[in-house]
Amino acid sequence: MAADMEQLYAQRLKRYVTAMRNGKPDCVPIRPFVAEFTAKYAGFTCQEVTHDYEKAFLAARRCAGDFDWDAVVGNMVYVWTGLTEAIGLKYYGVPGLDVPPDVGFQYKEPPEEEAHMKADEYDALIEDPTGFLFNIWLPRVSKDVAPIGSPSTYRNNLSFLKGGMAMLNYFNAFPKQAELLRRESGTVSAISGILKAPFDIIGDKLRGFTGLTMDVFERPKKVLAACEALMPHLLHIALGGADPEKNVPIAIWMHRGCVPFIRPEWFDRFYWSTLKPIIEEIHRRGHQVLFYAEGAWGAHLDSFAELPDGSIVLHVDRDDIFAVHRAVGHKFALSGGVPNVLLSWGTPQEVRDCCRKIIDEVAREGGYIMDASAIMQNDTSIENVKAMTDFTREYGVY
Amino acid sequence: MPKPKEPTAPSRPPGVCIPWEEKLRELPEIKGDAQLAQKVWEDIDALAYMYIWHCLVSF
Repeated sequence: MAADMEQLYAQRLKRYVTAMRNGKPDCVPIRPFVAEFTAKYAGFTCQEVTHDYEKAFLAARRCAGDFDWDAVVGNMVYVWTGLTEAIGLKYYGVPGLDVPPDVGFQYKEPPEEEAHMKADEYDALIEDPTGFLFNIWLPRVSKDVAPIGSPSTYRNNLSFLKGGMAMLNYFNAFPKQAELLRRESGTVSAISGILKAPFDIIGDKLRGFTGLTMDVFERPKKVLAACEALMPHLLHIALGGADPEKNVPIAIWMHRGCVPFIRPEWFDRFYWSTLKPIIEEIHRRGHQVLFYAEGAWGAHLDSFAELPDGSIVLHVDRDDIFAVHRAVGHKFALSGGVPNVLLSWGTPQEVRDCCRKIIDEVAREGGYIMDASAIMQNDTSIENVKAMTDFTREYGVY
Repeated sequence: MPKPKEPTAPSRPPGVCIPWEEKLRELPEIKGDAQLAQKVWEDIDALAYMYIWHCLVSF
């Protein structure tokens, strides 16, 4: 059994990697990004998989064992309550605490006047990003961390101790999860390492999106300098979690740096100018990056096409995957394109028809990985995921 | 389109919270293996760096 599973793993890894390198494997790989869907399938609530990462791991493995998937993320319900509550983070709506137990965790962006970084603090961030995060940002986003200069507290000390130990505990559990996926079901862990664009970091976690957009008008040089100051740190974090075997990609979660959230010239000046060098450096080090381009990034395909061939895998959400394929399919492998609304509310036949069209037109010469357009939560139909999986396995043979 | 720039060299580089040079100034003269002392310091310091940056990027 063990030898068979290892053989299956090797077959799936080869299939997945070949497609990501824009080649033609034996058949279309299947790599669904399933989050709270795994909870639904395994019979857990969102609260259970968010609070107890061992249940989240188990749910992912249960899905991997029952569905014929080539790769899966070890735990897509990534924000573990144990860690966020240990640190005392204010910006999460936690299932079972702040939101109902069957709703996925929510990110709470503060109002503009309560942004985690003030408009006059760009220089502090630029001069010393790590120091700024410890001394100014963390006390603002945590209920327990005491501001610098104020008396330390019992809760402050415990926040660092518990937060640090919780993070190590959690991160150290992922390799075991990867080994179990491999051993129990021959499933590949789909990604390794995390990246976000400097512009998105400022919008998501520091100034908030409204604050950032105002800053672009009022202090554009500071915004650019802040993005540039973040670049080496984000590169370091991405490479720190990367696959040492250089098989699976680092994932970049792309948020609000695209048109129409921002103007085209802002994309060029702030978002792309400070992200592209990071991607190029990662490529020089031998790794790929999965551009998990949530939303519609079709306005920026020309920019993406500046990157070296095969340096990224481009995941398609709301764009027309057929148009994306025509534009950049010769350079990069694609994934996604099966609408989540279809997987949640359509019929199995509609799902099969969609997969057929994608396989016929996008995957014809390889370079495509089957997945939904966006992360699948607990509104996703089990029957439809089965239809997507079974059809792709049957029809997507080269 | 502006020419993409190389990542700039920050004052506190990636991976570092308290530089070894700063810690060294607090220590008495190292009588034994200084490289060993530096490695241990920097390895653990990098964990703290990882903590804060993953708080920002991942959580």
